[in-house]
Amino acid sequence: MVLIPVIPPPPPHLRPSHGLPKAVCFLLLFFSIALADSWTDIQSRGVLRWGDDAEGGAPYIYHPDDDANRLIGFEVEFAADLARRLGLRDQFVQNNWDMLLPALRQGGNFDIAIAGLERTPENLGKVDMSRPYFAFGQQLVCRVSDPSFQSLDSLRGRPIGVLSATASHRLLEKLGDFDIRIYQDNVNYFRDLEVGRIDAVLTDSPIARVNLIGNDQLRPAGPPFEHGHYAVAVPPGDTNLLARIDDAILQMTRDGTLQRIYTKYGLWDDAQERLLDWKPDGLQARRQISALREWRTYLPMLLRAAVTTIWVTCAGMALAVVLGLGLALVRLYSPAPFSWLAVAYIEVFRGTPLLLQIYFIYFGLAQQLGFKLSAGLAAVLALGLNYAATEAENYRAGLLAVPQGQLDAALALGMKRRVALRLILLPQGLRISIPSVTNDFIAMFKDSSIVSVIALVELTKQFQIRAIDTGDYLGLGLLTAAIYFAMSWSASLLARRIERSLRT
Amino acid sequence: MIAIRKLSKAFNTHRVLDAVDHDQARSESVVLIGPSGCGKSTFLRCLNHLDTPDSGLIAIDDISIDCSRPVPREQQRQLRLRAGMVFQQFHLFPHRTALENILEAPVHVLGRPRSEVEPEALQLLERVGLSDRAHYRPSQLSGGQQQRVAIARALAMKPQVLLLDEPTSALDPELREEVRDVLRRLANDGLTLLLVTHDLDLARDVADRILFFHQGRILESGTPEQILDHPRNPRLLEFIRKTGG
Repeated sequence: MVLIPVIPPPPPHLRPSHGLPKAVCFLLLFFSIALADSWTDIQSRGVLRWGDDAEGGAPYIYHPDDDANRLIGFEVEFAADLARRLGLRDQFVQNNWDMLLPALRQGGNFDIAIAGLERTPENLGKVDMSRPYFAFGQQLVCRVSDPSFQSLDSLRGRPIGVLSATASHRLLEKLGDFDIRIYQDNVNYFRDLEVGRIDAVLTDSPIARVNLIGNDQLRPAGPPFEHGHYAVAVPPGDTNLLARIDDAILQMTRDGTLQRIYTKYGLWDDAQERLLDWKPDGLQARRQISALREWRTYLPMLLRAAVTTIWVTCAGMALAVVLGLGLALVRLYSPAPFSWLAVAYIEVFRGTPLLLQIYFIYFGLAQQLGFKLSAGLAAVLALGLNYAATEAENYRAGLLAVPQGQLDAALALGMKRRVALRLILLPQGLRISIPSVTNDFIAMFKDSSIVSVIALVELTKQFQIRAIDTGDYLGLGLLTAAIYFAMSWSASLLARRIERSLRT
Repeated sequence: MIAIRKLSKAFNTHRVLDAVDHDQARSESVVLIGPSGCGKSTFLRCLNHLDTPDSGLIAIDDISIDCSRPVPREQQRQLRLRAGMVFQQFHLFPHRTALENILEAPVHVLGRPRSEVEPEALQLLERVGLSDRAHYRPSQLSGGQQQRVAIARALAMKPQVLLLDEPTSALDPELREEVRDVLRRLANDGLTLLLVTHDLDLARDVADRILFFHQGRILESGTPEQILDHPRNPRLLEFIRKTGG
């Protein structure tokens, strides 16, 4: 007897409607089959693996001050109770918050995600979601010293910090007219608000509540608004698991477990009490977006972000090229204490991560010394200072590659060392180092994506935001890659032209 | 015009120059010959302080230097302004044309206006037979042409003496003659030349006096006839036989 596998029709989001090649569709289909009905797997394992990002912070999931190895938070306790009710042990799995839903969809190393995920059409388009376990609202936070800001309306045109790709972010984009500053985590926008880089933070009410405790500089501006719900994310189409989780959450709501947990974290309020009355809201999954088909919307967005990439890179490289030359000259031709300083600079900036340097320049200097650099300036400084070390070594290699005979000839003609350096060694040495320098210029186009950590939306960040929003990593990825390629290619052509014009 | 006294230099324990004395009059052409590694090139490079001697006295024209003490850079430079140099490997500046190679030092070292130096430079190019190559880069010139530009470049600074370090050794035999030709003319014109070479024909044509260098010392000195045709020292005899003079 031959067994013919019965393949169910794929869920709507996997139907080959994007013009994907057939092979890719089949691959996705097999993944979704492998994912469907994971309950038996989970049961036989005896462990419910839940994905979250420990960087999410208080009150969701965080390390208590006295123990960096333990995790606490209302979601941690919620997950533990949920697992117990399903007859399972719970296991936390760390995953970058941005990538929780794609990972869940593609069969990552966790079964469900509990991470302050909002029950929205966007999210329902990517995964299935349980009944709500928490009700939140948008909370505006301002400085105590600016009492005039009381609502979003009073902040039009002003810089407001939001967490990337959250309800707050989408709300501000929808309303328009705001200078939106996008952050990667729940901590740094409060810091920037305190030092005055931004005028307000819009965030989920639990985050605001926890961060305002004991902070005498910041205050909530007005009551929470735009209410929404957090829900557990389940792989799409996994109805059995979803039903069991819904049931468990209903029990926890009914028997006071949620109240006990939320009260402990100071989060219980009227809105939570109404969770019990929640009826399936009939929220429809948003139709899948194809960035390629809707390129008229997405390409201009990406191109605008690419402009940021371009100017940050060009300004950063300009700084690196000039400072690097100075460093190379001091290192090679200056007396001892100065050349040591140049060596120290080069080794320190080459030997520490660029990311760390960005944090140091943007947050560190503002906190300790009061230098409130703008994000753009900090990005250019960080890239420039970092690459200067590399460029210095490129120049040094170039200068050392000039034959000794050239210096002999220059000195024999009566030139002073300084003159010989300027007229004879530098023009030749720089020419030798040009290929390495232009290579770094092209590399910086890509490295500049790291500056998104300081609320600067460049190309990669824009790609991330839109990809989380639409779920179309493939289409947006292709558009973004095309733009990067166009930039690097133009830079290569330019570099080649410069090299050719300087060839002896 | 040149007076060298007890010039000495050692690399580690190897004595490259062993208390060399040398006197040379204006317009006199002196040729140094000797086996490889005998110290004759080092002798030239010590004269303009591209190499630093350990001790001795160097006097060229109006300047005199005691080498047993550190010599300030400005004094080294003054020495180099009086003693021009031509290298075995030419060492033209590859990013400059032939003409610019010649202009570089008069303009940037002596501070003379380019408009004043350029006619002189073109004259020098004519003197070495390269008027039509003024705007060529070194990479576009043959070895012999490059060496002739290098000679013109050194002459543009109007040195009291021209030091030439094996100027024909790096050249293919068929290119040597054009450089020899230039050197013969310079000697005839009464320039003061101090030439290191293995080319005994050239030595005969150019030299008023030949010095035979061996292990950092001058073993024999005399007119070309004395040295090349009637060598007395057995080492010189052997050297001439090997070199095929």
